[in-house]
Amino acid sequence: MDLFLQLLANGLVNGTFYALSALGLTLVFGLMRVVNFAHGEFYVIGGLAGWALTNAVGLHFFLALPIVILGMGVFGLLIDRFLIERVRDQGPETGILLTIGLSIFIVNTALLVVGTAPLKVVSPFLNRPIFIGPVVVTQARLFTVALCAVLILAVHLLVQRTTLGRAMRATFQDATAARLVGIRTRHVYGLTFALGSALAGTAGMLLGSIYVAQATIGGIVSLKAFVVVILGGMGSFAGAIVGGLVLGLVEAIWGGYGPSGYVDAVGFALVIVMLLVRPYGLFSKQVERA
Amino acid sequence: MVLQRNLLLAAFAVALLAPLVLRDEYLMHIGVLVVFSIMLATSFNLMVGYVGEFPLGHTAFLGIGAYTAALGASTFGLPFAANLVLACLFSAAFGFVMGAVTLRLRGPFFVIITLCFAEVLRIVANNWVGLTNGPMGIAGIPKPAFLAGLSMLDQKVGFYYLGLGLAALCVYAAYRYVNSNLGRAAVSVRENRFVAQSVGIWPFYIGLLTFVIAAAMAGMAGAFYAHYVSFVGPEVFGFSFMISMIIMVLLGGKGTLVGPVIGPVIVVLLEEYLRDFKELRLSLFGLIVIAVVLFMPQGLAGPLARRRERAGAAKA
Repeated sequence: MDLFLQLLANGLVNGTFYALSALGLTLVFGLMRVVNFAHGEFYVIGGLAGWALTNAVGLHFFLALPIVILGMGVFGLLIDRFLIERVRDQGPETGILLTIGLSIFIVNTALLVVGTAPLKVVSPFLNRPIFIGPVVVTQARLFTVALCAVLILAVHLLVQRTTLGRAMRATFQDATAARLVGIRTRHVYGLTFALGSALAGTAGMLLGSIYVAQATIGGIVSLKAFVVVILGGMGSFAGAIVGGLVLGLVEAIWGGYGPSGYVDAVGFALVIVMLLVRPYGLFSKQVERA
Repeated sequence: MVLQRNLLLAAFAVALLAPLVLRDEYLMHIGVLVVFSIMLATSFNLMVGYVGEFPLGHTAFLGIGAYTAALGASTFGLPFAANLVLACLFSAAFGFVMGAVTLRLRGPFFVIITLCFAEVLRIVANNWVGLTNGPMGIAGIPKPAFLAGLSMLDQKVGFYYLGLGLAALCVYAAYRYVNSNLGRAAVSVRENRFVAQSVGIWPFYIGLLTFVIAAAMAGMAGAFYAHYVSFVGPEVFGFSFMISMIIMVLLGGKGTLVGPVIGPVIVVLLEEYLRDFKELRLSLFGLIVIAVVLFMPQGLAGPLARRRERAGAAKA
């Protein structure tokens, strides 16, 4: 029973991390409908920048975090302006190819710069264990989970409650109508993509302090983020959280009781089965349109 | 279409004569890589170029073909020809299952779920040590019997002609496919799914049939690869083969017959030429993909396809 509780706790913690790393993709893929295969690479850039700032430059974690967020935001804005905008209305396939090209470029350039070694972001929190009944969680993880919750809530409020959020939703529902009522859709696209990249970078830096930042993990991060977004249903924040938690829990419990080599396969099998049963995700109101 | 056919025949004739001039092991090795890549690119192009869906997990079929041949040769001692046929059949069967599941989805969902399939297979190949020998892979796959006892150069030439024959078979199959009702139906689904449905075309069925054909081709390429390299590991399911396929088909021109032949020639040569640059080479490939998508979305053979359309329009 204690083992089960511990696995449950691990699953919830990892699940929150999955939700965080998929948060940017929920915006970019779920709302904006850009199939961003470079999402994992944005995550990697965030992690590597975090490592460079905290370790090589020696800044404090909380000083480095805003720099990474801002830097990734600007980076995302530039990517949208110079690459994504050119293929905006050409269907999903072109965007897929473009972002695959971008991801190949980023991975290999990152490999050239930092090599394959796993790098750790210097965290201000200790790896001191905290005991809650029979369950052990480290301080750093508990703090990161709290920060994830705050970030997810903030993005949710931004999209649902602010003028910018309303403009976003209007633009992605019908760009022409949005332009007609005076929304500058070009800025909305740019800002959404920037926000998505900033969130991916933040996730990379935060999780880089818990796990490691590494140039080659982008592919698996992208794929798992897609799994989370699809599990939860496109563009639904509650869905992304649930998708993340489901993935984390299933993996943790499988890892505890099943053959551990297959842990990564479980999530993919889950999403394949899911799409057979509920093709539009757990929480999506989306229906097929002509 | 006639122009494309003639170009392909001319390329085939040149390819037949090439080994007479290029008596060199390294050059023949590159030739083998090119014909292998043509099989893969032609297979991938059927889905991307004609059905218009993007199976990002296409390496699943390459891997299944390669593992089928490897196991057939090492565990059951089967000859090359039997392995080739078995690899086609297994890949086609898996293509049927995977297509039946994934072709109900479209666009990004199809892309991601096919990738999930390939990833699951890679993990299985990595972990099912009893069958696949795990990450160690299966080594020592014998060469086809008719190549035994030849010199290294003659073996390479033999493999080259073998691969050329198989690649020609793939391209011919693709040619027949494009000129059949099936191919025309697939193009109509690609261009407008709803109009296609309204004239009685069942997109799912068209997609599934094409998927099975493409899977069989990729499986054949896998068996050829296994016997040529004589080693198969889990990385046959990996993303690097996928990247080559994407670049070849894109650069050559998707939805054309010549494209998946031009693409592999250029990419393989470029890959060899840039070999000294290692990771920089792959960075450059990333930039090439971006540049092709932005500035040359029709690929190198795109103008040929457009010419065909104009000719067709003039006749009508």
